[in-house]
Amino acid sequence: MSRKRLDLTLAFLRALDRTASPQDVSELLLRLLGRFGIEHALAGTLPIIGAPPRQQYEHALLDAMPPDWKTRYLSRGYLFRDATVRHLAEANAPYAWSEIADRYREDPAALRVMNEAGEHGLRHGVTVPLLTLDGQLAGFSFSGARIEVSPEDLGTLQLVATYAFAQLVLLRSEAGAEIRLSPREREVLQWVAEGKTNWEIGEILSISAKGVEHHLRTTRSKLGTLNSTQSVAVALRRGLIS
Amino acid sequence: MIHVVTAANQDRYAAEMEEVWRLRHRVFVEEKGWSALRRPDGREIDQFDTPHAAHFLAIESGQVIGYSRLLPTTRPHLLSDVLPELCEGDRPAGPQIWEWTRQAVAPSHRTRGKNHPVSLEVMTGIVEWGLENGVTCFLAQMPIVYLLHVLQLHFRAVPLGVPAEIDGERIIAVEARFDARTLRKLQEIRGTKASVLAPTSPTYLMA
Repeated sequence: MSRKRLDLTLAFLRALDRTASPQDVSELLLRLLGRFGIEHALAGTLPIIGAPPRQQYEHALLDAMPPDWKTRYLSRGYLFRDATVRHLAEANAPYAWSEIADRYREDPAALRVMNEAGEHGLRHGVTVPLLTLDGQLAGFSFSGARIEVSPEDLGTLQLVATYAFAQLVLLRSEAGAEIRLSPREREVLQWVAEGKTNWEIGEILSISAKGVEHHLRTTRSKLGTLNSTQSVAVALRRGLIS
Repeated sequence: MIHVVTAANQDRYAAEMEEVWRLRHRVFVEEKGWSALRRPDGREIDQFDTPHAAHFLAIESGQVIGYSRLLPTTRPHLLSDVLPELCEGDRPAGPQIWEWTRQAVAPSHRTRGKNHPVSLEVMTGIVEWGLENGVTCFLAQMPIVYLLHVLQLHFRAVPLGVPAEIDGERIIAVEARFDARTLRKLQEIRGTKASVLAPTSPTYLMA
């Protein structure tokens, strides 16, 4: 059973390597987590209390929320009353929203957020607290009309959320560039630039030679190049590899 | 600076290694409560502190302020002998893979919140030493909350099992590969490209 959980996680990580946008990450996550009843996700670092909606939104690294709920949530400052968000600061393990009912039961503003979330299809949820390298508090929340996550699956969810978050941070740091290579595509091309053969690159990255060829092909189509030599030249010029 | 201490140079580091055993006792026994490691003399030394271990000491003004230990996976180590249940598939092992344990920072040199200068320096020392000596990968058993930091530092960390609860903490075993990209990221975050390794550090000769 746990071996199966590990295999699922590893398959997810391989797919995550190929994502090139937050949209890709979000589709991948919801596909994997659908079996728990998870339909929506939100990830980001915590903005300072009272930040305007635009700034709140910039803190979101991934947004797979019902649009009307998101608008309402941000414009009304619900983020700062949301018990599932406020609990982040004191949590060091994932929590189901139902576990922290004590935090909102007696607080009318918080209770209202929870009730309205339920009406918008976010009746159940699990939040994974995260702490970034530079010490920012962050969270990954998963929700749906009815979700069921066993205590063992909670660990898997924490693992998946951690990897997804790291990928989202990486993607955002690269978002400035016009052409976006996935981290894997860039890594493969970097090794080509070092003079490695496809077979050697496969060995280094623990992927098949076919997988290497796949990354080189998608890289060529993104860069509009004809072969790997030209890909290296263009990528160097654009600063996509070094 | 990071001083790498092995059997080849330990006679020159006798006083510093004394400090290491006491720092380890303080951090792992007294703070973390790993009571099985408790020793009446206050020196935490276990069965893996053999001549084959490599000790990474962060030394500042003659004082040991940070520490990590690397164990060769070609010999008994924690994942093989103490926590094998954390690894569900084939256990990675080989001369290019070392196990990273006992990460510790002296209480006087800890920072709250942003950055972890001493830990980052030790980690940079491990990566520099690894890249110079053909070591490309470490194994680690760590609280899952630190995994994000490892990933953000551009280690390619792959889980070896699902998280397990040990002493109230959710622990995950990972295999973490590193390369020049990892070193660049560490240098970028630390704001310097200068080597952290003390010139006295011995090289590791792969047998």
